[in-house]
Amino acid sequence: MPPVRDSIEKQQNSVDEDMQKTHAKLTLAEVRAKLAGQTGKKYWRSIDELAGTPEFEQALRDEFPQHSSEWIDPVSRRGFLKIMGASLALAGLSGCTKQPDEPIYPYVKAPEDLVLGKPVYFATAFPFPTGAVPVLIKSYAYRPIKVDGNPDHPYNQGGSDPITQATLLDLYDPDRSKHCLYRGETSPWPTFLASFRSMLADKKPLGGQGVYFLSDTVTSPTLAAQWKKGQAAFPNAKFIQYSPVNRDSAYAASKAAFGEYADAQYRLADADIIVSLDADFLSGARHPGFHRLAKDYANRRRLDATLNGTASANYSMNRLYAVESMTSTTGMKAEHRLALRASDIEGFAAALAAALGVGSAPSGYTWSPEAQKFLAALVADLKSSRGRCVIIPGEQQTVGVHLAAMAMNDSLGNVGKTVVYTDTVNPMPSNQTDDLRSLVADMNAGKVDWLVILNANPVYSAPADLNFGDAIGKVGTIVHLGNHLDETGLQAHWHINAAHYLESWTDARAYDGTVSVVQPMIEPLYGGHTAHDIVQSLSFDNPDASAYQLLRQTWGDQAVAVVKPAGGDADFGWRKLLHDGFLSGSAYTPKTLTAKITIPAPPPQSPANSLEIIFRPDPHVYDGRYANVGWLQEIPRPITNLSWDNAALMSYATLDNMGVHEHQVIEIHLNGYKVLAPVLAVPGHPDGAITAHLGQGRSTGRVAGGTGFSAYQIRPSATPLFASGATVVKTDREWGLAVPKSHYIDHRATYVGGDGSGTHSLEGNEAIDRGIIRYATLDQFKKEPGFAQEGYGKDTPPPDESLFPAYRYDKNAWGMSIDLNSCVGCNACVVSCYAENNIAVVGQHQATIGRIMQWIRIDTYYEGDLAAPRAHFQPMTCHQCENAPCEQVCPVGATVHSPEGLNMMIYNRCVGTRYCSNNCPYKVRRFNFLLYSDYTTPSLKLMRNPDVTVRSRGVMEKCSYCVQRIQEVKIEADKNNRPIHDGEIFTACQQACPTNAIIFGNINDADARVTKLKKLERTYGVLADLNTRPRTTYVAEVINVNPELTPDVGA
Amino acid sequence: MATKDVPVNDPMLDPVTGEFAVIAPGHTFKSVTEEVSRIVLTPRTPLGWFFGFTLAGGFVLMLLVALAWLLVKGPGIWAVTIPVAWGFAIVNFVWWIGIGHAGTLISAILLLFKQGWRNSINRFAEAMTIFAVICAGMFPLIHVGRPWLGYWLLPYPNTMNVWPQFRSPLMWDCFAVSTYATISVVFWYIGMVPDLGTLRDRAQTRLGQYFYGMLAMGWRGSVRHWARYETASLLLAGLATPLVLSVHTVISFDFAVALLPGWHTTIFPPYFVAGAIYSGFAMVITLAIPIRKFYHLEDLVTLRHIDNMGKVMLATGLIVAYGYSTEVFMSYCYSASHWEYFMMWNRMFGPIGWSYWVLITCNIALPQLLWSRKLRRSVPFMFIMSLIVNTGMWFERFVIVITSLTRDYLPSSWGTYRATKWDYATFAGTLGLFTFLFFLFIRFLPMIPMSELRLMLPQAKVHKEAQPIAEAGD
Repeated sequence: MPPVRDSIEKQQNSVDEDMQKTHAKLTLAEVRAKLAGQTGKKYWRSIDELAGTPEFEQALRDEFPQHSSEWIDPVSRRGFLKIMGASLALAGLSGCTKQPDEPIYPYVKAPEDLVLGKPVYFATAFPFPTGAVPVLIKSYAYRPIKVDGNPDHPYNQGGSDPITQATLLDLYDPDRSKHCLYRGETSPWPTFLASFRSMLADKKPLGGQGVYFLSDTVTSPTLAAQWKKGQAAFPNAKFIQYSPVNRDSAYAASKAAFGEYADAQYRLADADIIVSLDADFLSGARHPGFHRLAKDYANRRRLDATLNGTASANYSMNRLYAVESMTSTTGMKAEHRLALRASDIEGFAAALAAALGVGSAPSGYTWSPEAQKFLAALVADLKSSRGRCVIIPGEQQTVGVHLAAMAMNDSLGNVGKTVVYTDTVNPMPSNQTDDLRSLVADMNAGKVDWLVILNANPVYSAPADLNFGDAIGKVGTIVHLGNHLDETGLQAHWHINAAHYLESWTDARAYDGTVSVVQPMIEPLYGGHTAHDIVQSLSFDNPDASAYQLLRQTWGDQAVAVVKPAGGDADFGWRKLLHDGFLSGSAYTPKTLTAKITIPAPPPQSPANSLEIIFRPDPHVYDGRYANVGWLQEIPRPITNLSWDNAALMSYATLDNMGVHEHQVIEIHLNGYKVLAPVLAVPGHPDGAITAHLGQGRSTGRVAGGTGFSAYQIRPSATPLFASGATVVKTDREWGLAVPKSHYIDHRATYVGGDGSGTHSLEGNEAIDRGIIRYATLDQFKKEPGFAQEGYGKDTPPPDESLFPAYRYDKNAWGMSIDLNSCVGCNACVVSCYAENNIAVVGQHQATIGRIMQWIRIDTYYEGDLAAPRAHFQPMTCHQCENAPCEQVCPVGATVHSPEGLNMMIYNRCVGTRYCSNNCPYKVRRFNFLLYSDYTTPSLKLMRNPDVTVRSRGVMEKCSYCVQRIQEVKIEADKNNRPIHDGEIFTACQQACPTNAIIFGNINDADARVTKLKKLERTYGVLADLNTRPRTTYVAEVINVNPELTPDVGA
Repeated sequence: MATKDVPVNDPMLDPVTGEFAVIAPGHTFKSVTEEVSRIVLTPRTPLGWFFGFTLAGGFVLMLLVALAWLLVKGPGIWAVTIPVAWGFAIVNFVWWIGIGHAGTLISAILLLFKQGWRNSINRFAEAMTIFAVICAGMFPLIHVGRPWLGYWLLPYPNTMNVWPQFRSPLMWDCFAVSTYATISVVFWYIGMVPDLGTLRDRAQTRLGQYFYGMLAMGWRGSVRHWARYETASLLLAGLATPLVLSVHTVISFDFAVALLPGWHTTIFPPYFVAGAIYSGFAMVITLAIPIRKFYHLEDLVTLRHIDNMGKVMLATGLIVAYGYSTEVFMSYCYSASHWEYFMMWNRMFGPIGWSYWVLITCNIALPQLLWSRKLRRSVPFMFIMSLIVNTGMWFERFVIVITSLTRDYLPSSWGTYRATKWDYATFAGTLGLFTFLFFLFIRFLPMIPMSELRLMLPQAKVHKEAQPIAEAGD
């Protein structure tokens, strides 16, 4: 394929301009007149040669713009066809022109596996700092259009998370850096290489003195090997890793305990009691091993043993205790949750360890009565579950917490059972904050001649007190490799546009250590480069080796060794590795380590009246690297339900003590640094603390720029996880935070705010009263298995209780079952739905006033005290009612019933009366109040799922149960004249779900999993008493409370 | 009904009944004709008319700007959201169409009931109906997402072989409103023909003669004409009468057929009809009082009319009050439905509960003053009361449409509604359009039916013996 992509944008623009020009067009008569004037023998190749007027050429240009190379470029063929269609309409002479004599390259022989209109799937992996996420990419004409978990991979088994899903939009982000720049001017990559290599040659005698690399956390073993080789040649060069969200505590703890770096892997499948010490392992890839942990956690709560014939009395499930600061989905899923300030958790961990007989209780700590009760119950539970429990320390907690957790796991006999220690997933583990600090010292001392920044943005994300922005001015030459021309790129001398992981070769290890080779899915849209390309320059013997060659060196032998080629050629193993997406059998084996754990004495408890700031990665935009991804910005974050922006998150009591209200902007002062932040209250947040999510407040990017505030501006390097001693100054300013769903912010301010001691939220109350949320404790469930069916509003009317005759579903009848016990509210399904269904991003203002376009949302209902609530997550999407209120009221029949029971939305029939939405009790319909879909940005056109219409202004849209996927499988089944097998169709939400909470299938098939789930005694339909007969049903939650802590709850 | 307070020698009072006269004494055929036709045929249009006309025209321009912007951007310029997907547009639609009802009621039902007093006001009440229907009919069209496809609601044969969805009340609306508009226009025009003939004959200018001549369709006032005219009027009145009931009934189905608590109720048809008449009469008063003052028509539109309309308002207001109380009773006491209970609680005490109390104050509490005959005969009071009732009726629709939508079944999807400047501009713009059209009407068409007034004069009844005076009133 020719390297045309870097100029696509320009071409597109020039074509558009041409089309806009009005110009005289030749008519046939005029051409004939011109020809009539010619005499003598004259051959002509084409009319344009013959007529040869500028107007004529213009007309030709209109019909076939001089970019026919786009034909063979799958990236822009669609754009080309679109323009051509327009040109045909415009050109005056299309009937009598010959195609211009320009080289165009259609497929003479199409690639063997390419059938236009048929997707192809490739396995690869998303290298995330906490460990690679194995993914399967759906690709149309070699355009990646969907990222999902790799179902064959032992680690995530097809599960994914919001960030992984959203990397697709990151690939097509129109703001990506498109050129190499030198001092702001476009400069080619070879120029950079020449300059870089001549510098290296100069530095060679000095051993590379003054050459520094500053990289994002390295996940690639091959890159590590490259650096190791480079280090040998340049012993004085330095390679520093720094991610603002890193694993310093975990590494420091393992170093202290074992004398070497090790990763802990938790085996939740075998854990009856799980204790989280501020470990948010259920909310997303922020926590290492999220996919596996969430899946194992949920599998132990399935309680669908009746499917296998187990009597309900024998049900067992795990129990989760969470001790946490910022409210997380983990805490909300926990049976018992204790909210403590982040700084108190180390003390609590020490106290817990002491109670379990490890170390001594911290002195000077006072605990509330609830905390004492919690501790006692937890200790009793742990003691009775030796070897079947696990204590997980939080990544954003201190070394002390990690050491305490290790010691407790050790003493409870969990090591080797529910927790194992392995080599690190990071090939080059290090203490990143310390390294960065020494780098800055070197920079300030003028020791740094060349600073090569690889995929990091330290100008934005370095702790405030390091003054990285100043130090960078003392560096000779700064090279920045990055996806975006970000804050650091703008200050660098050289900016190299980086290739996305979907465009490049690299490798990474998943949480369990399994190796994945990351392969390009598409030729780099903007010809980007990778860290491999830059670091390889350090090897003088082979500086131009491509990442592909290096990968083959690293893994080729192992690939061949693992797979016995069955008469195959030598490349079989390598091809299998690429096909599978991972090297099977390469998972780490547990290490036997001798632990010498001393739990350090925790620092004295910070006074109750002090205010601490807790720094956490944002659940969606992480440390800011995904801040320009509209999906992640817009989809409401779990717990806070905040869409766009970040906020100073605090408890209602703190809010009240401070005398501020939600939306009010406060000035947070910490160690002499300050930042302005709007206030938002969070149920269950510990008092006396403010949580600030990192990653917002970016200054570049059309999406990221101006969204939220940058918590890095007050983040101290000494205590980057949380810091005490903050003060707050009130301002008069207001910031309209967008909280688009449950707990609509207006009502929350009126009814739930106040003194911070409100008992119930109105919404939560109503949700329970109305039978929308039904749950029971395990004991209640055993006693009363039908709890979900009994009580007011829980009865479903008989099917004939309708004015209209019931539909018949002879063949297929699609249905969905959502297990509320498994749902952890992580939002993976939501992002997946956005990608699959081309859902538009509407922006902060539109989201605020209730026009967010999500087809599936996670309704979150809080119950209980505001300071210690229980939350219930409920994925809510179109219920495809058999007796659908929406269908009856549409005056034009734009929403109709399919023979398989789907409520189908006919976009081109929709007039937009919105009556259907008014009549939908589930309020799952979304209306294009304005033109939300982006029809102009070229790169976004490539991203769209070609099977799904892009909706224009004025039409209603909603979940279709991914009807395009149903149709695809149906067509295949019809071709083979066979019924559709159960489990053959996955909806996008189902596919993304890391816990398999969503099951879809044919409810006419008695053996289908969904049918069996729907027969569970816990299954209930939301608002089924309205006789909507929903096709989506829920499996009610059962919680396994410790009776000592919660005597009566639920049902 | 003679009361002792009545001054005996007031010429406006009927000495027998004590009621106000429908027409002041002393009028002749000629004076009545003169009084009405001079407004139209005057060569000097009053400056005040120009002032009002220009002001209303300004509002029409605002409406045009609002509509243009709406077409450019989409309904997102309004405050409609999910869950409140219907906003001001539907509130205004129901309000305007309700206002129209008084015209039909006066012209059709009161005609059939032989309420002679209606004659003075029926013409402009009918004009008001038509203009209100114009304002109303605009809203369903512009509120949809793709107005250029609005015709898909009509059952017309097409190559796609697609019909509208007949189960949808919006579809029924199409028929109801278009039938209503048609009948109203025809009735209005037929009724005007004899007067147009009069104007043709009296017009001094060539243009006027042509204009009214065309419109009069050759009316010569022959007995045969009169006989057919009377029959046509009666027939049309018979046709229009069920419409008074059906139109608003069908419009109430938009809500009653839906599943939403606060909409889903069987009381809606009667209470919507009563509310429509209530607001319609209020609007007639709002219009009649300034016009009679400005054009010195106190002789023709007398306190008798205002008094009678006050009584109708009181009666329909009580029906509406009954409707409200039934809703409260059903939701709080009788239905035992949590949805209904919450809906009513939310309507009264929810975040926009104030609107419910505005409605109760304007529609139930204050109109009780109409029990007082003295107040009913106070022109300023009646003018203010008519504005209050119109406000109240607007809020009734606001409460029904918007408050119900803000909080329905799933608490997760509760929302709120904050009207934007475009919402207000559109509403104010239709008020402007209505006024604008009315200004045109009173300037160019006879706003009081001269022919019918002439019939009501004592002189017209000489052939009837025995009761020449008592007839004058009724």
